[in-house]
Amino acid sequence: MKAPRTARRDGALTRVTHDARPFLRARTGTVLRLAGWSLLEFVQTFLGGFGVARALDHGFLAGRPLTGLLWLAVAAVAVLPAQLATRGVFGRLADLVEPLRDGLVRRAVSRALSGALAHPAGTTARSLSQVTHQSEIARDGWAGLVLTLRSFVFTVAGAVAGLLALEPRLLLIVLPPLILGAALFLATLLPMAARQRDYLTADEAYAAHAGKAAADLRDLAAAGAADRTVADSRDLADDQVRAARSLARWSGVRVVALAVCGRFPPLLLLLGAPWLLRNGLTPGALVGALTYLTQALAPAVQALMTMLSTVGGRLLVVLDRFTDAPPPPAEDESGSQGPPPRDHALVAELRAVTFAYGPAAHPVLDRLSLSVAPGEHLVVVGPSGSGKSTLAAVLAGVEAPTGGTVLWRGRPVRGADATSVRVLLPQHAYVFTGSLRDNLRYLRPDASDRSIATMIDALGLDPLLSRLGSLDATLEPDRLSQGERQLVALGRAYLAAPPLTVLDEATSRLDPAAETRAERAFAALPGALVVVAHRLSSARRADRILVMDGPRTRCGTSAELLRTSALYRDLAGLWEPDEEPHRENGEPDQEPHKSGRGNGVISTPPPSLF
Amino acid sequence: MRLKPRPPTAAGTRRLARRHPAALLALFLCSTGGALAALALPAALGHTVDGLIDDGPVPWSGLLLCAVLTLAETGFDAGAAVLGTSTTARLTAHLRTRTTARVLAAEPRDALAVPTGDLTARLTARTADAAAAPVTAAGAVAGVLLPLGAVTGLFLIDPWTAAAFLLGAPLLVALLHTFTRRTADAGADYQRAQSVIAHRLTEALDGADTIRAARTGAREYRRILEPLGTLADHGRRTWTVYGRAAGQSALLLPLLMLLVLAVAGLRLHAGAIGVGDLVAASRYAALAVGIGALTGALGALARSRAAARTLDPLLTLDPLPHEGLGPLPGGPGHLELRDVGVVQDGQPLLTGVRLTVPGGTSLAVVGRSGSGKSVFASVAGRLLDPDTGTVLLDGVPLTAMDPALLRPEVAYAFARPALPGTTVEDTIAFGPWTADPEAVRAAARAARADGFIGLLPYGYATPLTDAPLSGGERQRLGLARAFAHPGRLLILDDALSGLDTVTEHHVRRALDERAGRCTRVIVAHRLSSAARADRVLWLEDGRVRATGPHEELWTDPEYRAVFRTEAAEVAETGALPPARTEVEAR
Repeated sequence: MKAPRTARRDGALTRVTHDARPFLRARTGTVLRLAGWSLLEFVQTFLGGFGVARALDHGFLAGRPLTGLLWLAVAAVAVLPAQLATRGVFGRLADLVEPLRDGLVRRAVSRALSGALAHPAGTTARSLSQVTHQSEIARDGWAGLVLTLRSFVFTVAGAVAGLLALEPRLLLIVLPPLILGAALFLATLLPMAARQRDYLTADEAYAAHAGKAAADLRDLAAAGAADRTVADSRDLADDQVRAARSLARWSGVRVVALAVCGRFPPLLLLLGAPWLLRNGLTPGALVGALTYLTQALAPAVQALMTMLSTVGGRLLVVLDRFTDAPPPPAEDESGSQGPPPRDHALVAELRAVTFAYGPAAHPVLDRLSLSVAPGEHLVVVGPSGSGKSTLAAVLAGVEAPTGGTVLWRGRPVRGADATSVRVLLPQHAYVFTGSLRDNLRYLRPDASDRSIATMIDALGLDPLLSRLGSLDATLEPDRLSQGERQLVALGRAYLAAPPLTVLDEATSRLDPAAETRAERAFAALPGALVVVAHRLSSARRADRILVMDGPRTRCGTSAELLRTSALYRDLAGLWEPDEEPHRENGEPDQEPHKSGRGNGVISTPPPSLF
Repeated sequence: MRLKPRPPTAAGTRRLARRHPAALLALFLCSTGGALAALALPAALGHTVDGLIDDGPVPWSGLLLCAVLTLAETGFDAGAAVLGTSTTARLTAHLRTRTTARVLAAEPRDALAVPTGDLTARLTARTADAAAAPVTAAGAVAGVLLPLGAVTGLFLIDPWTAAAFLLGAPLLVALLHTFTRRTADAGADYQRAQSVIAHRLTEALDGADTIRAARTGAREYRRILEPLGTLADHGRRTWTVYGRAAGQSALLLPLLMLLVLAVAGLRLHAGAIGVGDLVAASRYAALAVGIGALTGALGALARSRAAARTLDPLLTLDPLPHEGLGPLPGGPGHLELRDVGVVQDGQPLLTGVRLTVPGGTSLAVVGRSGSGKSVFASVAGRLLDPDTGTVLLDGVPLTAMDPALLRPEVAYAFARPALPGTTVEDTIAFGPWTADPEAVRAAARAARADGFIGLLPYGYATPLTDAPLSGGERQRLGLARAFAHPGRLLILDDALSGLDTVTEHHVRRALDERAGRCTRVIVAHRLSSAARADRVLWLEDGRVRATGPHEELWTDPEYRAVFRTEAAEVAETGALPPARTEVEAR
């Protein structure tokens, strides 16, 4: 139990150091300037004790109060530039801290985005917390660490220099407990960091559970699972108590280390004082030495140890979360071989394509072959889970098949060709906060306003445009209905007008009339159109229909499929039974929705479906 | 908010303190003892220094006293550190469990009134803040004792040294005040820039499918990070503000101490005090400027009190009332609503609903958006207590039944179900009892979920976080969960909406197989659902428009019109919002 934990923590330290080294090396100048501004603290500490010693010996105790005041004034003069120096210190601190935060946010965004692009279903809450919460913990922790460490180094240096100036033998008494305490503290540092990490892990486990319980409240009540959830919550909270207790015991040890370092030296100084005084130590020097030990050394040690043991462990844990970030998404490389030949007989072709989500999983697509001719309008139908979306993704080169070949214009699929060959619109439309124009030009950044106007007319985006006011109006995704979002996405694809457009239920949230209009507009474009259908009405407009039905998958015209595919007959009978299912042989330009639908419903008797 | 001073809160300091009185008393003694030792030490130190300088015999008693006081202070501090951390942890765990239990035992409507993110924050960060109060308060005693004692010490040594310190005290207080205020202002712009980045990232993650297909990942990466420059600028500004405030105290505090030393030096020259007194005075001055620690403790206490106030509404939630009755043994699931009405925010959602559903039959609930279908579904299984009227299951009022006995009899499935549990298997088995693996598989088959579960990387053992599930697939897992916990009442709240018609047909057949054993209430938009039910309840504006078999109602053109607009309807918004997305805590 203990060994792997140690190994993991050591790993954390190694990983963080590995990433921290180049960061710090690039900022050597900043560190030096920070040290420069901190020199004042050295002088201030030095004079704080030395001035008191001299003020007493040469002033107040020697019957010369003015000299005493003068020495104190010298110490005061050293304090005067403190304000300026502190500002300098904080300015350089910003140079060390802000770039760290920038880097962490970059890594968090890179991880989230690359992760989401690799596994679209993955959870995202962690990355958001990295952007806002964890990067801040790291920022505050790192700043605190830099500030205290810097203050510690220069204060201790000032105190040691002062003690040397007063009486070198003082160090003989002061240094041993200081070193002993520091060693004791360093020995507790690593176990303490491990306890810190356990505690944070327990806290996160509890928080994750609480977040899920809060989100699942209705279902937990409906499932009568309150007791189980409360019990889980109690267990997780108790885990955290155990971690906290273990942490508390170590913090007790830390207090002892702190005392050895900060509180024992003055005590030892007093014990050694008779001997030192006999050997020429002046009363002023004794008071000066006490001042160094109690006013400078003890607070600096206390601040550093507290910082290291509380923030240090947490900083290490949090920084380690950022060490394994994947690189940001790569730029889309442009085709080195040029676009695939324009004049090929087929836009896209699947040859015995197989796709499975895991080595042990059943294949979703099993040796499927399909060809799409230029300008063709193909509709894919089938029950949920029959692999329609997978087919769309494989055809568009978004998913690589586990077996078989996908060809675009006779050439194997290459990422570099993707943007010039096809557009795939998934069901869930992506709209970002930005102008309507930027949203529409997403796939075609150079689209002119005139082509945008044509598109708006063709797809029926004018109500949205007039609601927003102009193309420059800021579009807020939350204020758009799902249907409007899909229209915006369709507008992008229309502007891009690629040789192959794949709509994966991309019109599912439009009403039937708008859907018809959109599909007609796309069919009128020169490129081939593949539609994964949400409603059977889409199939009626197709040249060919692909019925996804496992081993009984068939492709053909509607009339052929009614003969050859039992599933298609089922679908034609069941799919939205309140529409007229057998109109596919009718006049293609007729609006089935407007003219036929209402009548169809009312004239149909209560359907007896099976 | 309220002007009443210190309203007592359920998560308040005093109530929490009663949990662990012994530990808190020990903590109080430790922190007081530590403070007293720290206060006595400078005097002892001064006395010893005087003895050492006086050329007399070595002042062993003074040295011993200093050693004892140092050890005592260390011991007390260590004790306070151990006790404080562990007591706060225990109180936090207790408060968290108590709050979670209260929230889950209450009527869901009450807890759902709090947005998910807010509720999560209250269950995590706010409970920790509130639970820290007793320990902070015990520690604050030392925070008060130290500066007050130190000033008293200065007075006892020499009133002039105390006067010198008090001269600078107003400046010190003003400094602490501006520091707190300025730093609070500076953070706001910074947080705004940060939330723009988080917002853009959220949008992009939501559109990951599109970005992946359009290969615009690199462009999105640049767009999300574009505000980073502004963020860094605001960040630098916060450090400047900090630096200015810190610079003032870096100037003021040493000067104040030197002032006290100068006065002490003059008094030493005048023979009023000894060298040891001067040493003690300088220590006391240092302890007295430590008043900043007290403001920190007061700030923490204020935060704890604010947190306790946000927890109060949760901790005072009433658990669902009941009379300890159980369902009638062996009842067929006869559901009866007597004059049921629900009002929310002054709006009637259901009014005067009277209805009887004979045991073992099926009822389809239809109506336009906002007609109260989901509210009806919630009331029928006691996810919501009606404001007027009674709901009875086999003659026993739902409100009289112990929820622990009622829940196994009522299974729910929703349009957008949450998926509690860890794996696919776990979420289907999740419920009043954990369903065994065979029941889970049978339920998945009945809900037509076994097909896509077989396609998942690890089948039933696939963790939910790794399962790429569509809305329809989630819906079928929710259905499977309901099927795996059969009781006498099954309520589907639009739970078939994401299924294609073929799949829906099979699920409907599985539902029909339960006829006679289980009463089924099916909220539906589709004509086919209504047509297959034994009876249809047609709701309009929260009232019963008509009930009867579908064939009879179909003669009414307005009834037919209910189905005609279904395609244009958006998801019905009822009293219970759909399952919400998880929000990261803290």
